[in-house]
Amino acid sequence: MIRESLKGAYMRIWIVTCAVLLTVINGRALHSLKAQSAPAVAAVPDLSGVWDGSRRSHPTNSATVPWARTVPEGTILPDGTPADKNYVSNFPVLNERALAFQKIFDEPISPKYDCQPSTPPALEFDPFNMELVQWPDRVLLRYEKDDQLRTVWLDGRQPTAHDFGIQGFSVGHYESNALLVETTNYVFDITGFDDYNGIPSSQQKKVSERYWRNGDQLKATVTVEDPMFLRQPASYTMRWLPAPKGYKLKAYDCDPEAARLSVQFIPPRYK
Amino acid sequence: MRILFTSVLAVGFLVCVTPVMAHHSAAAAYDETKRVEAQGTVTKVLVKNPHSWVFLESSDNGQKIQWQIEMGGVTSMAWTKDGLPIGTPVKVTGNPSRAPGTHGLTGAAFAKMDGTPLGPRAGRGEYTPR
Repeated sequence: MIRESLKGAYMRIWIVTCAVLLTVINGRALHSLKAQSAPAVAAVPDLSGVWDGSRRSHPTNSATVPWARTVPEGTILPDGTPADKNYVSNFPVLNERALAFQKIFDEPISPKYDCQPSTPPALEFDPFNMELVQWPDRVLLRYEKDDQLRTVWLDGRQPTAHDFGIQGFSVGHYESNALLVETTNYVFDITGFDDYNGIPSSQQKKVSERYWRNGDQLKATVTVEDPMFLRQPASYTMRWLPAPKGYKLKAYDCDPEAARLSVQFIPPRYK
Repeated sequence: MRILFTSVLAVGFLVCVTPVMAHHSAAAAYDETKRVEAQGTVTKVLVKNPHSWVFLESSDNGQKIQWQIEMGGVTSMAWTKDGLPIGTPVKVTGNPSRAPGTHGLTGAAFAKMDGTPLGPRAGRGEYTPR
């Protein structure tokens, strides 16, 4: 009788011990599983500051900046490095529609002569400064040129059908010590790809940007896709240097009279 | 005031034209292979973005002509609005506008009537769009 009782007690102890062990093991396994499935929080690089966009940092917007088929050896490229003799063209491969637009393009139709704000790359390559502000849920890119403000949303929101605009709609995230931005929802812009070579961009344009720090420089690689006009994506890498300490952005206040005056000096192509 | 209109090759002059501010290409609106000289009296100065402008009034055989000189924007134009008072007589050389019958200049170098360079850049030339 006593032997039977002891046997039962041992059995219960053994079962409880097993249960405790299993619980601990399962708990650890579950914890481990949870840790694996939790989203990794990417490091946030410090990209903030006022950045110099003058010729000190990169060449100025022109027929060969930032897109160039060829440049003389030693030419300073948008990323601040000199071109070597093996320079590879980054000029976009245009489709027939883009070539047709380019052929009929007439300089006075360019919206910049009426103070319509420019978009990248013209926005970045005219010689003005830019400020980058990092907030937890967004990044603000404030350009002196044309008083433009781009907001890059980091909170997961996506554009709706009401979010089309001249600067599109930008979403982003941090990855590998860089800020990655994707912008869509642009409106058609007759010089939206290149205001010197008369290449438009469409509402299907997608701009992917990667911003990172390289020492005291801010660098960015910008890739543009637009199936309406480009046969393949086109890309450039550029840099900014820090603006002078204490520099505050100035208002641009584009003046329509001053903007359009020079159009009278262009021999008319169409009547 | 008599207009002195001289057209010369720009090669020698272009080296003295330094400031560059992009917004539009000069080639579409101005002939960069030529330099012309205008004389006149300052009638208006617009210090604006994207470009500033100086207006001169000249006369040629009794006919009034208004020259419009394209300069840099607010931050790149060396002149202040008060730096070139209305009524100042000046000589200006620059690249002439392309459209027939127009009187535009860019890449301008300013001088007093006696030829003394005028302005913060001392006649080295102002703005040339690229």
